[in-house]
Amino acid sequence: MIKTKELTKHFGQIKAVDTLNLHIKQGEIFGLLGPNGAGKTTTVRMLNTLTLPTSGMAEINGLDVVREANKVKQIIGVCPQELNLDRELTACENLRIHGLLYRMQAIEERITELLEWCGLSSRAHNLLNTFSGGMQRRLLVTRSIMHRPKVLFLDEPTVGLDPQVRRQIWNLIRDLKRQGVTILLTTHYIEEAELLCQRVGILSYGKLIALGTPEELKSKVGHFVVESIDDGVTNYRLFDSREEAYKFAEERTDDVLIRESNLEDVFIKLTGERIEK
Amino acid sequence: MNFYPIFLREMLIFKGRLLRVGYLFSNMITPLLYLITFGLGLGRGISIEGISYLMFVVPGICAMSSMTNSYTWIATSISVGRLHFKTFDEYQVSPVSATDIMLGEVLSGVVRGLFASSLILIAGAIFGVGFPQSPIFLLILVLNCLIFACFGVISGFWAKSHEDTSTFSNFFIMPMAFFCGTFFPIDKLPEFIKGFLYFLPLTHASNALRASFLGQEVNLISVGIMFAIFAVCFYWGVVTIRRSNR
Repeated sequence: MIKTKELTKHFGQIKAVDTLNLHIKQGEIFGLLGPNGAGKTTTVRMLNTLTLPTSGMAEINGLDVVREANKVKQIIGVCPQELNLDRELTACENLRIHGLLYRMQAIEERITELLEWCGLSSRAHNLLNTFSGGMQRRLLVTRSIMHRPKVLFLDEPTVGLDPQVRRQIWNLIRDLKRQGVTILLTTHYIEEAELLCQRVGILSYGKLIALGTPEELKSKVGHFVVESIDDGVTNYRLFDSREEAYKFAEERTDDVLIRESNLEDVFIKLTGERIEK
Repeated sequence: MNFYPIFLREMLIFKGRLLRVGYLFSNMITPLLYLITFGLGLGRGISIEGISYLMFVVPGICAMSSMTNSYTWIATSISVGRLHFKTFDEYQVSPVSATDIMLGEVLSGVVRGLFASSLILIAGAIFGVGFPQSPIFLLILVLNCLIFACFGVISGFWAKSHEDTSTFSNFFIMPMAFFCGTFFPIDKLPEFIKGFLYFLPLTHASNALRASFLGQEVNLISVGIMFAIFAVCFYWGVVTIRRSNR
């Protein structure tokens, strides 16, 4: 559904995205994971036609994002990182304008259906500037799928939200997957990528440094982690089995923490840096 | 053609602001101050070209007010939407064309400019200068709004920060507001300045508005020049929007 070949974007001397090759299947939730500035948003902006690639190519449903940008726009939904709803309009008006931009039929019915879906029916006629951050985020996701896109880009959909609202957003995303929407999700939250995504690509300084299911990635680096503090610095040691981890821990005289590994450990192992700084 | 959602959005925002107490008043205050200071205060007893100064200045302030309102509304809406709230991205990722965006924005600027001008005309009527009778007056007023709404789009896109739009306003819009035959006839100025002013759209707008306001014959060359400026600026705006989408 989404295909990129050697996709590259330079901003002056900086290589924001460097020869990215991706192939995302229909109906899949694919996660791009990486710290801030890794090139996730630039990748998404190239795919949703907002930024021109420096070189390489990208296709969505067989349509070139540069040459056939207008056709691409018809079949994609974009949920940006910024809450870019109109604050001086009501929830209903925000959705109505979106529907008109995409020349939709039966807009009012769709608005009613969607506000129910995201649980904001009672706020339909309230101005957006009276909405909490979480409510705005829910409406933002809702607006991005209003015109029934085949492919949805979710750029950091839960950034800055409290755990309860995050879960609400995750439920909406899972429901969209059930409806068969192909989703490209960027995040720097490890938990989010592990919970939602079938496959994950890890970006660091514009390069794709790992690709696979969360399980595959974790088994590559080891399933168990022993965290210890040596000279004030936290060290992470990865082990394939619980027994090996125990054995190592027993030899230590100080306190250590044994836990199952996660995608952050994969990232640390590959780059020596943390994702959630 | 699908400019309606863009136009509708601006109109809904405008309607919302009109309902807010104080908005209408704060928008009226500057042109009313000009009208009272120059028309009733300074200009009392003065006559220009055989008419009372108030008669002279009302169409001038109308030209000025339609210009600043069309321009500022659009320039601010676009620069803030692009740079701050990112609401403009919503248009850029949707399948509307640059021409649709341009048309929707410019038409909303016209509504805004006409609204402000009608307040001036009402105030003028209250002070006793009457309403304009000629339909040409409305045509020229709309044309003036169109031109400056186009400038609003262009400067809204050109701006790298919100301050940039006021820079453009200070160097371009404000001088025009004072020199283009709005408060005094430009014949009294030295030749080289007159020649320069002839290239500015507001000179033609205020001359043509005044002529039609007073029931005199409108200089068709002025109207032609305004049409030409509008056509060029509209095209320029479409190109600017198209390029910004990258």
